Amino acid sequence: MNIVGEVLTTAIPGSVALLYPSLGELISERSGVTNLGTEGAMLAGALSGVAVTIATGNPWLGVLASLVAGAACGALHAGAVVWRRANQLASGLVVWFLALGVTSVLGSPLNGQVIDPLPAVRIPGLADIPGVGPALFDQNPLVYLAYVAVPALWFFITYTRPGLTLRATGERPAVVFASGSHPSVIRFAAVTVGSALAGLGGAQLSIGIVGNWSDDMTNGYGFVAVAVVIFARWSPIGVLIGSYLFGAALAVSSVVQANGIAVNQYLLDALPYAITIVVLVIVSGFGRSNAPESQRDALSETQ
Amino acid sequence: MPDQHHRTTTGSPPTPTLEVRELVKTFGTVRANDGISFTIMPGEVHALLGENGAGKSTLVKSLYGVHQPDSGQILRNGEPVTIHSPATARELGIGMVFQDMRLIPALTVWENVALHLSDTPFALRPRALRARITETSERYGLATHPGRKVEHLSIGEWQRVELVKVLLGGLDMLILDEPTSVLTPQEVSGLFDMVARLKSEGVAIVIITHKLREVRQIADKVTVLRGGRTILSDAPPATLSDDELITAMVGEPVAILEKRSTSAEHATAEPIIGLSGVSVRRVDGDWGLREVSLEVLPGQILGVAGVAGSGQDELSETLLGLRQPHSGTVMLDGAIVELPAVARMRKAGVIAVAPDPIRQFVVPGMSAAQHAALWNAAGSYSFDTRKADADLARRDAAGQLRVVAGSRRMDRLSGGNVQRALLTLALTSPCRVLVASYPTRGLDILTTERTRTLLKELCEAGSAVVLISEDLDELLTLSDRIAVLAGGRLTGIVPAAAADRRSIGELMTGKEAAA
Amino acid sequence: MTVRNDEALAVAPPRAIAALLGFAARIPWKRIGIVVGAYAACFVAFAAFSAWQGGNPLTLVQTMLNSSMLNGDALVQTLLRAVPIGFAALAAAIPARAGLVNVGGEGQLILGAVAATGTGLALGSQVPGPLALVATAAAGAIAGAVWAGISAAARVWLGTSESVTSLLMNFVANDIMLFLIYQPWKDPAGSGQPQSRPLPGSVRLGTLFGGQLNIAVFVLFAVAIGMWLVIRRTGWGFALRVVGGNPEAARRNGLPIKSLLLSSMLAGGALAGLGGALNLMGVEGQLQPGVTTTFGYIGFLACFLGRNDPIKATLAALLFSAIALSGNGLQLVEGLDGSIVNVLLGAIVLTMLAIGRKNGERI
Repeated sequence: MNIVGEVLTTAIPGSVALLYPSLGELISERSGVTNLGTEGAMLAGALSGVAVTIATGNPWLGVLASLVAGAACGALHAGAVVWRRANQLASGLVVWFLALGVTSVLGSPLNGQVIDPLPAVRIPGLADIPGVGPALFDQNPLVYLAYVAVPALWFFITYTRPGLTLRATGERPAVVFASGSHPSVIRFAAVTVGSALAGLGGAQLSIGIVGNWSDDMTNGYGFVAVAVVIFARWSPIGVLIGSYLFGAALAVSSVVQANGIAVNQYLLDALPYAITIVVLVIVSGFGRSNAPESQRDALSETQ
Repeated sequence: MPDQHHRTTTGSPPTPTLEVRELVKTFGTVRANDGISFTIMPGEVHALLGENGAGKSTLVKSLYGVHQPDSGQILRNGEPVTIHSPATARELGIGMVFQDMRLIPALTVWENVALHLSDTPFALRPRALRARITETSERYGLATHPGRKVEHLSIGEWQRVELVKVLLGGLDMLILDEPTSVLTPQEVSGLFDMVARLKSEGVAIVIITHKLREVRQIADKVTVLRGGRTILSDAPPATLSDDELITAMVGEPVAILEKRSTSAEHATAEPIIGLSGVSVRRVDGDWGLREVSLEVLPGQILGVAGVAGSGQDELSETLLGLRQPHSGTVMLDGAIVELPAVARMRKAGVIAVAPDPIRQFVVPGMSAAQHAALWNAAGSYSFDTRKADADLARRDAAGQLRVVAGSRRMDRLSGGNVQRALLTLALTSPCRVLVASYPTRGLDILTTERTRTLLKELCEAGSAVVLISEDLDELLTLSDRIAVLAGGRLTGIVPAAAADRRSIGELMTGKEAAA
Repeated sequence: MTVRNDEALAVAPPRAIAALLGFAARIPWKRIGIVVGAYAACFVAFAAFSAWQGGNPLTLVQTMLNSSMLNGDALVQTLLRAVPIGFAALAAAIPARAGLVNVGGEGQLILGAVAATGTGLALGSQVPGPLALVATAAAGAIAGAVWAGISAAARVWLGTSESVTSLLMNFVANDIMLFLIYQPWKDPAGSGQPQSRPLPGSVRLGTLFGGQLNIAVFVLFAVAIGMWLVIRRTGWGFALRVVGGNPEAARRNGLPIKSLLLSSMLAGGALAGLGGALNLMGVEGQLQPGVTTTFGYIGFLACFLGRNDPIKATLAALLFSAIALSGNGLQLVEGLDGSIVNVLLGAIVLTMLAIGRKNGERI
């Protein structure tokens, strides 16, 4: 296989593991809540996915469990932020910290246990396209679901009433309240659903790609998701581009290693984060932010 | 669309569209509404007159379901009703246009309307909705662009969108909260035409205002509130004199400042600040100011008129050295200054009353004395809170604007108290130029008159005052010259003695005339 | 008149008691009750979780106290571990005054340690002891400041959210350290372990009182008090509060916003870098993986618990240090996973976030 195909084949599943939490973060931020707990939700999703798969032998129950675990983390964050008006950044970090502790404790007996990852489903015809075919159309079903998720979310946000209300909540909750909806309920729902998607991203990592659990295995993906949403300027299409871009950066490092090119592994590991930071800095240098109004100061909010 | 069901049949005694009996609403220990009663008939324009803090907004928010009254009764077409929420109010056919308009800038006009309407389907139908918006717009003469983002609209169109949105919901009673404060005289007459149209359709209209002229112009009845109580109820305005209305509002007769007699003797003085061909870009890339040239002369009040957002903020920020002009030169005492240069302008004696004190002056968590220390430091790092506290008391004695104690936290004060604190600091500081943006906005009548007197005294003492205001009467009373901005351009500088509301109003719409 | 006064005195309690009652009435009992109750609830929930994991909830507290406070050695360990956590807390507290969120304490600690290792190894045997010691610590501070300065500069000039960049830079910092100790700085005598050569004795902090305690703890306390004074008593501190409270008000008053934002973040980064260096010079002695494991994040949480106040944040850091350390005891005595203490730590901060603070404001 040529190196482009190789990078793509590695990049797509990894990108999808980033795409889900990014879409989740997008939903959450569109409602006006930044969720650094996305990282924690991914950890919870990754672990519960593996644990339930081992317990039941059915990876799809594992996927379901990852959604539930992610949602639980989101509900915790949303509860603190929406009902108790806690600081968003601090609450998100704490949720991550809690998830880190809990998954580390609960996951230690599972360390080293290997499961069969979700099987790839080859799409006849499309998978035979030379070059990109196998990379795009010989993957597990979570990858295909991701293809649908982006346009679906875009349509939901742009052309449905609940989507409009979601956007409005992120802009001016008082107007939403005056129109007869309840911004707190909308935010709670958005953060919880967004976090469930982050859990799904965790499942893609643990049962979709590697087929095991290891401590702190998400390694900052959830935080990168927050950056992806900023890079994407809060649009689902942008999230798609951002996720695949950073997914490719991740893939390059592993492919380079696999091909025995002598670059230090840890420098390569730093690459995706470094690229994220650089791109973020460059993007924010251009034009004004089109962040939801209630979000404009949220990322630099203190007490 | 106005709902036709509640129209009264000719002949039978008309049922009031709404009747309020002994309404009481308290916030903590404050009785915002203390037994208010009044009646509105179908096809009647009813003015609610009163000072800021008289309880007008609280009252209409109770009628619109934002607040729940503690006691009292609301009768809708003769039936007692409880209005739990704005949604209930809308179901009852009551619509309201708030002063701080309830639109979302980042969304388009039709999206804002869709959000508001209760019959919006799950899957949005933009085309159908846009057609409905256009139809209603045309019917009431409210020109709008359904597909545009609200943030790109002028303040006048912003209000028209708000009206269309409310009208589309269907109503037979409309509440307008201070609708004219942001409009040009021409737009005001457009609004009043629409009110007349609704009135002829049998819609009852409640209009909140503190302007006597408007009461006389369109109101059939007037109810005056003061300190949460009804002072006058359902009175025909024609039976009352201005003095009677003001006394009802304030509780005592108020000497309204006479128009300043202006003279041309300072006109030859050297300008302190001169702008020539100054253009300023806003954050969103649009022009804030376009090739503005003017001179700020000592001993003169230069009034600045214009519709909100015509470049007033950019002008004041340029004069204060806060902004870097895109092109043009700024001269200070005859020498070119490179902006931004806040500290330099401040050192030269240029100070300001900020347009939005809550956002631009109040530091959360800090006391009034600390704000005074910050003011006194004038850009340096030497803050002396203790000295500033004593100084604040001295300033209060001089300014007589009843500022709060220095130990009070500024972010816990009402808007009026914050404004008084800022005015006390600005009007009692020795200065050469005072750039005062909307200095009397939100103040009671007595403090307003005191502030105007202080501005006049400052100018008589030889300082230059740049008075930016949306109150044309204030500008005509106080200014020597009035500069009019429209869309960032200076459409004219006229001597106040030769100006009137009509001529200023035409200059304010200069943008449309030029386009 | 006099008669009525006497009567009043007769029924009123003596003045001292009245004063005492007045004082008692001013103590926010309800608030204290809520906070104490919240901590108790956290411990109960934690005990339940531990019991589920096979621990003994009855001996749990005893074990935790034993391994963090109740004997001299444990107490010294708690104090030593409070150094990196406390400095990381201060690193978040100073920028927070100016409204900046420094979530990069972890990375700044790491780079402080990295710079200290490089400097210590280079200078240790060639430069006189005290000079090398100061240079090593200073190198740590400078590295931390530079690392934080990148986030600050991106924020000030390009408007990039400093919380996101500083957070992501933690991962980069960790990879830089791993790169160094796996390759260029790898100790040839380290029997294959990824670690740097040990620092020479001249740049190690001497121990005090015949135990393991070193001067770093006292430096931390001194710096915390110093920062408290700087924030309350200097013009810079006042100006930071203005910028943090309302940047627009600061701008209109002619305060140099950019330099205030930059300087606060540089100061924060320098503190974290110093913390990383002191931790290395005092406790670790050589660079190895996990040299700061999550101390930076714990410090950030301590800063929040201490509401950005340097002294309170340092005290919170001490508490968190004790909790973190008690994980060892739980592992050895109760057979629990050591990272279970992170659960307690997270639960405490989350609960405190949720109950907010007095005056209706929330953390």
